Amino acid sequence: MKIVAIIPAYNEEERVAAAIADAARFVDDVVVVDDCSKDRTGEAAFESGAYLLQHVINRGQGAALQTGTEFALEYLGADIVIHFDADGQMCGEDIEAVTEPIIKGEASVVLGSRFLGARSNMPLGRWLTLRCGLLFTAMVSGIKVTDTHNGFRALSRNAAQDIKITIDRMAHASEILDLIKAKKLVYVERPVKIRYSEETLAKGQSFFGAFIVIKDFFKAKFFDEL
Amino acid sequence: MIFQIFLIAFGLFAILKTIRQYRAKKVSLYWLLLWCLLWLSVVIVALMPQTTDVLAEYVGVEKGADLLVYVAIVILFYSIYRILIRSEKQNKELTELVRKIAKLEAKRKD
Repeated sequence: MKIVAIIPAYNEEERVAAAIADAARFVDDVVVVDDCSKDRTGEAAFESGAYLLQHVINRGQGAALQTGTEFALEYLGADIVIHFDADGQMCGEDIEAVTEPIIKGEASVVLGSRFLGARSNMPLGRWLTLRCGLLFTAMVSGIKVTDTHNGFRALSRNAAQDIKITIDRMAHASEILDLIKAKKLVYVERPVKIRYSEETLAKGQSFFGAFIVIKDFFKAKFFDEL
Repeated sequence: MIFQIFLIAFGLFAILKTIRQYRAKKVSLYWLLLWCLLWLSVVIVALMPQTTDVLAEYVGVEKGADLLVYVAIVILFYSIYRILIRSEKQNKELTELVRKIAKLEAKRKD
């Protein structure tokens, strides 16, 4: 089983090397997609020994994930694709837990969840925003999960081919859930630990960011089919 | 009166400009005819504003000038809609292009 971690990175010069090193211990290859960062994220990733793919124009996190996933499938022959963050919020140790159901053939998609096991030090504001996200997802996509916008996920090769992310920006997490439901993929959730620090909170989704996510999602769902 | 003269002058200027661009093969015959038609009607309306009143009465709008504004707004909104759709499509194509380049130029330190 070839396991490849995809790390989309935008202006993560300081943190990307640590994230690569963390993930590399548990996977066969690490693919970093530098989404046209303004700093030296690309150089840092390259020096860390990961495959480096660079977007010549910034296209958003969803687009970067899709680029990395396609590369892992087409060029590296990945059997399992892991979506991992560049900012050090996620723990490499959790990779084993999220790949296990796929290796055992129990599921083709494994979603990380911050609410199962409750191991994270999540601030209340973030908690509320995420809970609203759950409600929203249950209503629009009709899929019941405990954590919708967790970027930590593992996809089997077939699932990764089925899930083509077309929403370039943040709403891709909702789109992935939508596609899991639409393509009738078998999914399970596994608890993962997310480390919150002042630095990563400033970069993460704010409550108002959630409105942009909702807008993008609806736009893609209804408008783009025209 | 000044406004009428201004409109007529601008209409004629726009028509001349379009013809010149057509000669330079910058626009197609379709656009030439479309723009000429648009600006010719502007000139006609500027010369004889009462003509629009007839049309307005026919479709049930009180004044010709009002009808013009309504029609203009509808056309503008539709144009914006078309442009948005196109921009969305181009965004998608741009992502595909950026992705292709990224995959082709992937590298790793040996």
